[in-house]
Amino acid sequence: MNISGNSTAIIMKQKLDAKFAKKGVLTGLFSGCTWGLNNVLLGLALGLVPAMGEDAALYAIPLAAACMNDSLAGLWLLLYNGGGGRLQEIIRSLKTFPGLMVCLAALLGGPLANSGYLLGISMAGPAYALTITALYPLVGAVLSRIFLKQHILPRVWAGMFLSVIGAIVISYVPPEGGNNANFYLGILFASIAALGWGAEAVLAVFGMSMIDPKIAINIRELTSGIFMAIFILPIVGGWAVISQVVALPTTVGAFAIAALAAGVSYLAWYTANSKCGVAKGMALNGTYVMWGVIFSAVFLSQPLTQNLAIGSVLVLIGATLVAINPKEFFNKGGEA
Amino acid sequence: MADILPLRFRMLHYISTVDKACADDIMQALKPEYGTEKQFTKNVFVEHLLDMKANFVIDDNDVILDNKGELVIYYSINDEGRNLLKKYLPKRWNRK
Repeated sequence: MNISGNSTAIIMKQKLDAKFAKKGVLTGLFSGCTWGLNNVLLGLALGLVPAMGEDAALYAIPLAAACMNDSLAGLWLLLYNGGGGRLQEIIRSLKTFPGLMVCLAALLGGPLANSGYLLGISMAGPAYALTITALYPLVGAVLSRIFLKQHILPRVWAGMFLSVIGAIVISYVPPEGGNNANFYLGILFASIAALGWGAEAVLAVFGMSMIDPKIAINIRELTSGIFMAIFILPIVGGWAVISQVVALPTTVGAFAIAALAAGVSYLAWYTANSKCGVAKGMALNGTYVMWGVIFSAVFLSQPLTQNLAIGSVLVLIGATLVAINPKEFFNKGGEA
Repeated sequence: MADILPLRFRMLHYISTVDKACADDIMQALKPEYGTEKQFTKNVFVEHLLDMKANFVIDDNDVILDNKGELVIYYSINDEGRNLLKKYLPKRWNRK
């Protein structure tokens, strides 16, 4: 695009654009790092939940944890937006179509994808389910190409593919024979999870053309948390889990700290998506798999297996490919 | 006012009513609606403009240096932004 103005002003503008692009990339990486931290903290919080039998461990506890994670993150974000004098923006946004699209994004990425993820793992086994759900950044990129017409550079596609392969290597577990009667249903649920997360990012970015990301993410977290509390937890017996948890202050505290990391991470993810596009935002957020491995190795002394090391290196190379092109920073601020 | 739009949405709408506008122009125009709010700062307006441009709903097509030597960027709405407003701007705002 042609920009008019004197040469000093144009150079200053190019520097501003480069700074903006860099901020988007760093925010995306930060979102991946804090999401990895959230996963580790959530794992620690889950370890403090009293044992409630095999059935509860399969659905009730993970879904109750997902509900608490989103609801508490929503409350942290309310505090953040309250401090910034933006609470009225939440009501204003909910009265508009883009605001309602963010609510829909929340339902797709929260209850639908989370439930699909858990059902997929239990029916098809983690080997297949985790491989399919790891494809979500690619789903998001394809949907953003179709619906938001976001241009994605070949370098970014290549980086995304590498990151996804890395994520699959990290989460790889040997298949267990696949003789489960619900195997194909499980594959379907895992696909729904990948679609849900991809569609969430696209709808949210659409909404954020007109709504502040800080507000969009607050709406997202509260919508997801409230919907799960009212419609999903009663079906799976999740309220029994929550009533056990609230009686244990240390466990509530652990979930609240994990949710703080989730709130920060989601805020950064939505901000990055709004600044550098869905494809880059999702790929950079996808580095959480690698960060999770690093945090687990450093803080929980978990062994660093060959798979974890190789997968993390692939994720790192992929994310670098997605993020870095010095030429683009200075010349083509608008492309994804 | 009961029907205040989210700030970013309102900024997009304002830009659609003028040929081009910079952050200061928009702040001046929207002061009666948002002027008392904590979010009414230059940094917030600049951030919204940069984000909207990154989302391809406005274009930056003119830059100058003001008399203090600071960069001033002028933005105009593009077809994508106009299309969004046509579809999603609440009905009551179409008359304004």
